[in-house]
Amino acid sequence: MNKFSLEQKSNDRAEVIYLNGFLDAHTAPQLETAISIVISQGKNRIIVNFNNLEYISSAGLGVFMVFIEEVRANSGDIKLAGMKPKVFTVFDLLGFPMLFDIVDTEEEAFAKFN
Amino acid sequence: MQERMYASGDTQELERVRHFVESKAREFGFTEQGVYKITLAVDEACSNLIRHSYQHDSSKEFCVEVGFDEGILVIEILDSGAAFDPLNVPAPNLREYAEQHRRGGFGVHIIRMTMDDVEYFPSDPAHPFNRLKLTKKLN
Repeated sequence: MNKFSLEQKSNDRAEVIYLNGFLDAHTAPQLETAISIVISQGKNRIIVNFNNLEYISSAGLGVFMVFIEEVRANSGDIKLAGMKPKVFTVFDLLGFPMLFDIVDTEEEAFAKFN
Repeated sequence: MQERMYASGDTQELERVRHFVESKAREFGFTEQGVYKITLAVDEACSNLIRHSYQHDSSKEFCVEVGFDEGILVIEILDSGAAFDPLNVPAPNLREYAEQHRRGGFGVHIIRMTMDDVEYFPSDPAHPFNRLKLTKKLN
C-alpha cells in the first residue's frame, strides 16, 4: 500500500492540512478531495504543512494547480510550508516558487495571512 | 547487469516500481539526491503510462528494466499501449495551467529535467512493445 495520510486543523485564521508519507498519482486524489471539501465550506485560506511528507510527484503538485486560482479569486491562498529539501526540489524543477507562496514554517504561513 | 520487474496498469503499483528503481540506483552508487530524481522520473513515466495509455486497466502489464554499465544507468520502460512520444510534449506554462485549473502535463518535463537523456521507440512489427529509454550518468 502507498503510505499517505492527511490530517486537518482549522481555526478562524486558516485551515491547515498536514501531509504524511508519499504523495503520488495513487494518493493525490485523497488530497484533492480534502481541499475541495475545505473550499466548499467557504474556507479559502489554506496552509499545507509538508513537515512529514517524504515524497511528491507531479500528480501531487497538480492538485494545488487545480485550486490556486479559485481560492485567490476569493481573496484566499494556498500557502505551502515546511518542505523537506528533496520535496522542494520537485516544486523548484517546475518553477512553482514563481506561482506559489512557499515558506519554511507553518507560523510563517499564518503570519502571511495576517 | 540488468534486472527487470513487471507491474500492472494500476497506480497502486507505483510504490513497488519506486522501491525497485530506488534500490537499484542506490546499489549503483548514486547519491541520495540522484536516487530521488531517478525514482521520480520513473514514477512520472509510469504514472503517465497507467493513466493515459492503459487508462487504469490493471489487466495490462508493463516492464521496467534497469541496467548499469560503465558508469551509465539505463532504465527502459516497455509497454503494449498506444504509442505516445513524450518528447513531443511542450514545456508547461505554469500560469496558463493555473488559469485553466490543469492538474497534469508536468511529468514529461520532470523526466527531461532529471535524466541526462530520454529516447522513445514506438513499437513496430519487429519490436512489439513501445520503449521509453532513460539514461543517467553516475558522475
